[in-house]
Amino acid sequence: MKQDFENDEWMKGIRETGFTTPAHYFDELSESINARISAEKFKAVIQNDGHTVPDNYFEKLQANILAKTTAETEQIVKPKVVRLWSSSLLKYATAACFLLVTGLGLYFNQQNPAQQTASADLATEQMLYDIDEQAIIDHISSADITQPKSTAVDIDLENYILTNYSQSELATSL
Amino acid sequence: MKQVEDSEILEKFANTKTRNEAFNLLLNKYQQKIYWHIRRMVIDHDDADDLVQDVFVKVWKNLDSFRSDAQLYTWIYRIATNECITFLNKKKQRNNTPLDEVSEELSETLVASSYFNGDKIQLKLQQALLTLPEKQRLIFNMKYFDELKYEEISEITGTSVGALKASFHIAVKKIETFMLNEDITF
Repeated sequence: MKQDFENDEWMKGIRETGFTTPAHYFDELSESINARISAEKFKAVIQNDGHTVPDNYFEKLQANILAKTTAETEQIVKPKVVRLWSSSLLKYATAACFLLVTGLGLYFNQQNPAQQTASADLATEQMLYDIDEQAIIDHISSADITQPKSTAVDIDLENYILTNYSQSELATSL
Repeated sequence: MKQVEDSEILEKFANTKTRNEAFNLLLNKYQQKIYWHIRRMVIDHDDADDLVQDVFVKVWKNLDSFRSDAQLYTWIYRIATNECITFLNKKKQRNNTPLDEVSEELSETLVASSYFNGDKIQLKLQQALLTLPEKQRLIFNMKYFDELKYEEISEITGTSVGALKASFHIAVKKIETFMLNEDITF
């Protein structure tokens, strides 16, 4: 009798350890066990699903996937990018060449006035073509085109030159 | 043949010189598992063939961004599962048909398929599975055929272990009832 009382006390202690279960756990436990037993029974009879694949399918599958992935990546090799301004030396050399060419161009352009005159003459000539021919004839006939008379200073100067310089000297200096 | 570790595959993939080799190893290790996972969901071999290729192209493109705190195979399974669900949803939308009619269509595909050589009981199990909602079918397949742990299925599907157990048990009960109606007992 005393021992039963001690057992009850001991059981009470077990019950009050603080462990709990989810709500309705014991209601669903039996169903879960039955379902698991049923699944085990299925498994004993049906191990696989009965699906098949064509012969050598997985070898071909691997080749197809590789063709879409690794092989595709190998083909699309990124073009090598070569930097135009890879070094500062090249940059400065190019700038110097540009300045030199520009400078030389300007220099030779200034040293060649004949070219400028030729182009001016060409422009004048072109302008004359644009003027009516009769208008030019009228202008020339009405204008005073006689040679201006020489002044006394010019005559004296001419005499001085002819007196003091020979013809050969004049030819070389001109 | 010794199975190569996932960590080794990832290490080799990170190096551009050994990337192709790593992907080959990955295909050798997972292509069949993923194919069968997809095939059980979409039933038709040609559809499964297209999807498995799409899955591995995605794996190839995204493996760089894979975070190694997850398991590689659960990551690949997740991609495959999403592809299957997207495919089945598109099939429903395209034909504008409810789920039971899609299941019927898949069942007809199964019977007519030249790539199904199961016996009567195997055929009945597949037909029973096709009466289940997609998610229950998915969970049943992963637990029963792929023999994955609930924790792994949880990582793949993003569903709690408790909910997965409940889904599996419901699926088993439905299959048992279907089989009994077909006079098949175990």
